Amino acid sequence: MTMPVSTAGLENLWKRVGAILETDAPLPSRIAEAALAATGARHAALYLRDRDAWVRAGERLAGEPDGSPIPDPLPEGIFVRDGDLWLPLSAEGETHGMLRLLGVDEAPESSNALAFLFGALVGAHRLARQVRDAEFELKARLLELESLYDLGLSLGGQLDLSALADEVLFRSISLTDAGKGTLVLVEPSGAVLLERSVGGDVFAARDVKGWSLPEGGVINNDASGTPTAGLALASCQKCLAVAISVPGRQLGVLAVADKESRDGRVLDFSATDARLLSLFANQAAAAIDTARLHRDAIEKERIERELELAAAIQRQILPRDLPEVPGLEIAAKNVPTRQVGGDYYDLFPLSRGRLGFVVADVSGKGVPAALLVSTVHAAVHLQIDEAPTIADLVGRIDRHLQRYAATRKFLTCFFGVIEPDTGTLRYVSAGHNPALLRRRSGALDQLGATGVPLGMFPKASWKELETRLEPGDLLCVYTDGVTEALDANDQEFGLERLSKIVGAEAPPVQLCREVFAAVDAFAAGVPQYDDQTLLLVRRKE
Amino acid sequence: MSETCKVSSERRGDVAILWTDGYINNQGGEEIAREAYSHLDQGVRALVLNLEKTRIVNSIGISILIEVLEKVMDRKGVLAFCGLTPTIDKTFRIMGLAQYAEIFPTQDEALKKVAAQTA
Repeated sequence: MTMPVSTAGLENLWKRVGAILETDAPLPSRIAEAALAATGARHAALYLRDRDAWVRAGERLAGEPDGSPIPDPLPEGIFVRDGDLWLPLSAEGETHGMLRLLGVDEAPESSNALAFLFGALVGAHRLARQVRDAEFELKARLLELESLYDLGLSLGGQLDLSALADEVLFRSISLTDAGKGTLVLVEPSGAVLLERSVGGDVFAARDVKGWSLPEGGVINNDASGTPTAGLALASCQKCLAVAISVPGRQLGVLAVADKESRDGRVLDFSATDARLLSLFANQAAAAIDTARLHRDAIEKERIERELELAAAIQRQILPRDLPEVPGLEIAAKNVPTRQVGGDYYDLFPLSRGRLGFVVADVSGKGVPAALLVSTVHAAVHLQIDEAPTIADLVGRIDRHLQRYAATRKFLTCFFGVIEPDTGTLRYVSAGHNPALLRRRSGALDQLGATGVPLGMFPKASWKELETRLEPGDLLCVYTDGVTEALDANDQEFGLERLSKIVGAEAPPVQLCREVFAAVDAFAAGVPQYDDQTLLLVRRKE
Repeated sequence: MSETCKVSSERRGDVAILWTDGYINNQGGEEIAREAYSHLDQGVRALVLNLEKTRIVNSIGISILIEVLEKVMDRKGVLAFCGLTPTIDKTFRIMGLAQYAEIFPTQDEALKKVAAQTA
């Protein structure tokens, strides 16, 4: 039933409605206001259909309850319920909106016209929104293309792995509307090289090693409790993961999770998302590989510089000339390897014609080892005249290392003092390889360790032993770089080969030459990774 | 980067400055909208959004920023952005935000311009 309206009244009504509809206010407000003017209702509320839900359009009034009061099922046409007039706003045979007029318990004659007019407006409004949404989608696709182009450009010149990872991850999350994302890069060994997450972890970085992703990636829109590519995911509902790989090698994994929607739902990832993420991963793979090669080259250069510096330190420390000591023949040689280690030897002419000497091998390589050698060298030269015994000297050097050495390293060493007149040799071997004492008779004695390496244990002590070099006897002190020199089959040169050479009757200089020639021949060009030092002292007959 | 976007703001005369920190997604966008609408309701006519601590924006965040921009325009106000990363700058230009809201490199430049527009 509708209330009659006079012609003049109707004309006035349309004028008022028209005036309101022409204002700049948002359409829902204009419709509500026009409806109020046309019907005299106490209040008007507009609800628009958004997919399966009805959404209140325009600003909610103070105290207005949340949620939609739209009757379900929706009655056909205009109806009155509980003192409110309901106008369905339809266009193209579909109801897009419902206008609720509070305090109108009888439909006015203009109801059908108002419903038709407002329905057309809502339809147009909806169409405009669809056009706007389509335009937004179009721009979003354009943004994806531009992003791929930009990513290629920016990654091409990016050698900083960390910045590169951020760039890839940020764009991936942004363009898939993901709530979170994780990117993990791994070393060829499988060790994690870099991990980044935004919004929380999608998966644990340590799991990448066991993650075998097919080409094109994996979409898991039911990730809760369901493993993706065999792995359980961290807290996320839906996930999309792709491998970052170059031919023959997986460099890492890029994963995004929980695609957002405007209404707070978590959406499924689509094949388009997977394609986009795969394209990102492909772009990233080449750049990451290049950046990693660059990083390796820089690291190599740094090591080279460090080795050069260490070699320079070592060259400064090792004796340039051997001392002339009556009654003794001396030969010594140090062959530094490419990876400079910490071999050290020195000889000290002492009072009463005695000769002091040391052969040492520091743990580690490069500058730290060279600096420790330098520390030992200084300590030996400072203390050698003060210490009453060799054992005391070794103890003083050990305390010096424990107190002042910058790094926690240790060294083995063989300290000795020979009296050429009597042939007395007093020595301390701090965890060093056994020295060889070739008797003139051809017998070979080994002088083993008399204590632990230096710098290893606080309050350690060393025994000082004594033996005698008869005329013609030869003492051979060496570092493990000699006996542990490797050939192509990873076989060691060994103590036996060394013993055989130094067991021969020949001047120390010749024996020294023969030992290094034999080691060279044995290694046959295989690079060695430890310094080789040999000291030979023979008591003249 | 923050897991959730934080938004803070300050009113300076007719202008309100909003600072974001984190991902502008649905949650971040809603935070911005809430803060922006609160200032608009209190009579602010110009908003400056400083995004220097934001490195990611997704399409949901952008659509919310467009809604904020529409509301500002409905009220004959002005909205300006500043502190954008090059990626976000380009994103805003492609998505049409830059059509109706100016983008400035710094907050000072943005404030100067919007203050002049609303004077």
